[in-house]
Amino acid sequence: MNFQEMMIRLSQYWASRDCVLALPYDMEVGAGTMCPETFFRVLGRKDWRVAYVQPSRRPADGRYGENPNRLIKHTQMQVILKPPPVDIQELYLESLTSLGIELRDHDVRFEEDNWESPTLGAWGVGWQVLLDGLEITQFTYFQQCGGIDLEPISVEITYGLERIAAFLQNVNNVYDMMWNNKQKYGALRLQEELELSVYDFETADAEACRQMFDLNERESARVLAGYDGIESDAVRHRFPLQKAFELCLKCSHLFNILDARGAVSVTERVALIGRVRKLACRVAAIDVDRKTREAVSA
Amino acid sequence: MSETTAFVLEIGCEEIPARFLEGAEHDLGERLGSALREARLLVQDASAVKTASTPRRLLAYVPALLRAQPDRIEQLTGPPVKAAFDKEGKPTRAAESFAAKNKAHVSDLKRVTTPKGEYLALEVAEVGKPAVEVLVEILPLVLGGMTFPKNMYWTAKAGPLFVRPIRWILALLDEGRGPMVVPFEFAEVKSGKFTYGHRLQGSQPVAVADLNLDFLLEKHLVVVHAQKRRERVRQVIKALVEESGFKAAADEWLETWVVNSTEWPVPLMGGFDPRYLALPREVLVTVMRDHQKYFAVEDEAGNLQPQFITVLNVPGDPKGLIRQGHERVLAARFADAEFFWNADQKITLAKRIPMLSHVTYQAKLGTYADKIQRMKVLAEKNCGELERSGSMNAAERGHALRAVELCKCDLTTQMVQEFTELQGVMGGLYAKSQGEPAEVSEAIYDHYKPVGIEDSCSRSVVGAVVSLADKLDSVVAGFSVGLEPTGSSDPFGLRRAGNGVIKLLVESLPGLNLERLAQTAFARWEAGLSGGDLEARVLAFLRERMGYYLESTGMRYDIVRAVLRTLQAGFVPSWTVERARALEKVVDTDDFAALSAAAKRTRNILHKSAELSDFGEMGEPKKPAKPGEELDLYEAYFEMKEQLARYESECDYTAAFRALATLRPTVDAFFDRVLVMDPDEQIRSNRLRLLSHLNVQVFLRLADLAEIAPATAASTGRG
Repeated sequence: MNFQEMMIRLSQYWASRDCVLALPYDMEVGAGTMCPETFFRVLGRKDWRVAYVQPSRRPADGRYGENPNRLIKHTQMQVILKPPPVDIQELYLESLTSLGIELRDHDVRFEEDNWESPTLGAWGVGWQVLLDGLEITQFTYFQQCGGIDLEPISVEITYGLERIAAFLQNVNNVYDMMWNNKQKYGALRLQEELELSVYDFETADAEACRQMFDLNERESARVLAGYDGIESDAVRHRFPLQKAFELCLKCSHLFNILDARGAVSVTERVALIGRVRKLACRVAAIDVDRKTREAVSA
Repeated sequence: MSETTAFVLEIGCEEIPARFLEGAEHDLGERLGSALREARLLVQDASAVKTASTPRRLLAYVPALLRAQPDRIEQLTGPPVKAAFDKEGKPTRAAESFAAKNKAHVSDLKRVTTPKGEYLALEVAEVGKPAVEVLVEILPLVLGGMTFPKNMYWTAKAGPLFVRPIRWILALLDEGRGPMVVPFEFAEVKSGKFTYGHRLQGSQPVAVADLNLDFLLEKHLVVVHAQKRRERVRQVIKALVEESGFKAAADEWLETWVVNSTEWPVPLMGGFDPRYLALPREVLVTVMRDHQKYFAVEDEAGNLQPQFITVLNVPGDPKGLIRQGHERVLAARFADAEFFWNADQKITLAKRIPMLSHVTYQAKLGTYADKIQRMKVLAEKNCGELERSGSMNAAERGHALRAVELCKCDLTTQMVQEFTELQGVMGGLYAKSQGEPAEVSEAIYDHYKPVGIEDSCSRSVVGAVVSLADKLDSVVAGFSVGLEPTGSSDPFGLRRAGNGVIKLLVESLPGLNLERLAQTAFARWEAGLSGGDLEARVLAFLRERMGYYLESTGMRYDIVRAVLRTLQAGFVPSWTVERARALEKVVDTDDFAALSAAAKRTRNILHKSAELSDFGEMGEPKKPAKPGEELDLYEAYFEMKEQLARYESECDYTAAFRALATLRPTVDAFFDRVLVMDPDEQIRSNRLRLLSHLNVQVFLRLADLAEIAPATAASTGRG
């Protein structure tokens, strides 16, 4: 099964389980969790089911396209089910079947792995799913997001699509796998991996990145500071919270570049993560506040 | 119908982490057992609750549960008889209302005698409840009381909390004609009569006829007993390697992990490209064991083979796809490791030294380059002392200082950044491959040892010197910026470092004085950093670690306290241990117990005496004029003081404690016949002075004898 067929099948599978098929988010993110379709929707009480493909960037994992398994930009399939149905594990296993994986011929394991995103103030409890020893999915019962206890809980299922594809196509090098029946993954992505690696590891100007980080942080904080004085529901309703969140995401990505560039000491690392988290937690708090008020007045 | 019946409980969960499983099974058994015992549902002497577990279920089986609680007569105590009847012998209001409250007449009440006097009482016959009614009440409490190292919510913050989501509950009582459900609800799940097999069987419920589930579940690919799974794993692994004459590297931790993460374990052998055997064994094993949970395969001599054993949770690998999958994953990981190994070697450790000034050790403590500078000073000081005592030569000194320089350089390598658990080990391996002397590479390899109190120390004195410098610096540096451990919080791992310091000084570097070493460490800190009492706090902390070390060897607590209270001679951990061991030999003798009592008595007298504070400055006691017990003690004291000094200088603590015991008759005679608090001020103060000197120079000299617990208390304490 080629790469795009996989994305189509998984999308179809989750669409048939009442998931909204959302578009990939149009910003650099480190994981599908950072997209508004996850971050904002797991907050608050409303039920929600969504699935989307999300290219995710981890600058530190860049290998100039030379490593057969590691990528700066890998593709996640992100699924959120809120609240989680009682047969959630069976639903997940069935999704593997939809990819043509015959469960009887394999060993699928749920091995403890508790996920955490310190920049988002988010964490959860769950497993990494192993298919014959290969980690293919992160399966998490979200406990907190933006520092807020979730009510209800959401399950987040994040598939690592390249790994599953390489497995299904029985290739050892990610760049050799077929995207469709004509084009290889490498034809589409290899040059991009090389260039992103060169920039993140060599070209990036740490000072400029720092300045951009500061600038985005300041702008996000400035926007957020405007929420406190709002008295009218109408003004609150049009408050540009999503934009403040996007600015926070920019900080997160700039931090990742600085980190990959080796420009961040261990302690500074903690401090920078803390600054991004502070924004994310503020965003989450405002979101919950606004949702609560709107639920009351509705 | 027999009096007893059987009961089974199964909690079906999403995969419980392997590391929690044993604890969870044990906890369930304990809680259910004590709840049933309290509810009077267990037959006496019955082997109460049997338990089993797999990642997807916790099981409890009670083979002999009473069908109902036995009836019993409960006695309710009412008002005292004095208050229950008036002068004419008529019942008072108190008596009437007690009777009425319990739906009885005053004539039903009896008189009972209690320690507080005579009371009215009512005997009420309580009819025992059927087991099912009791179970319905206690089971939610039993399950709700279970604790795990990490819990989770799966519906909402207000919802149930457990180790993993609960998906089914089976709770059945044997009712002769068939099982009966014990109906209750826990974690939003209603109990039922079905169990579920292995995941491969899909989500079909399995009906239960026989309450012993072992056989039924085996038919559904679940081995419920961990011990049985363990035996199966061992047998199959043995069979797999038997033909080749190889063996799986012994690994109890991994075996337990595997057993606790499978319902139907099936070991399977796979292979890898022999070219990876050129990588260090440590790297290969870390990848296989820690990251992939594979057993390594070795020949008789312990040489790794290009094979591994993984343990599946399915009956087999009919198409060979599973093995192929594992082999591919392992090959990819080894390829990464090979890349790191080659890339790291392009820059030698020595060339990496300057890079350490970019690696932060701790925000306020600077970089690893700074730490290495401090470690050097400590190591030099140690080497100097060891050379003077003949425990080290000049060449070893050179090796130690070289190892200090290089020991943290592996932090800049890709291998350690990927496999952080290999820090130190990788440094040693790189040093060896880059032609550093064996003494240097081994010292680097070992320099995190001992990692805990159970871990072994470095192989060589050179390695121990490096490790000691590292750990002592961590302790002093950590304290200097307020990272000292408090309660359960120890953010910098200083207790562990402190334990390592003590263990090294006892087992690898005996004779070194920790107080003097610590002073060298303090000298590195600016006055501002160290703050007033830093030195005192660090030494108190290390003394506490000394006590922890002694207790970990099984030493009695009173002996530990006794030797820790005597450190005037300097804090030499190896001597402290020797003193404790010597004391242990004599502590249970009669003479010693009496001497300890005398020491306590002396201490009490001195405490009570108003003149206590002056003794220090009053000089030695004068020789008593008249012969008698006082003169005997006076003479014995001086002789003993001299003897102790001699034995101490020879480090012969056993002889010293034996000598001490001989003092008993003289001390006893003194206390029997001599009144210390004589009305004559001069006589009194001279006697107090004698006791004061005896206390400091004898009773406190090698150990604080007053700390020794009386024989009976001590022997129960030991059990």
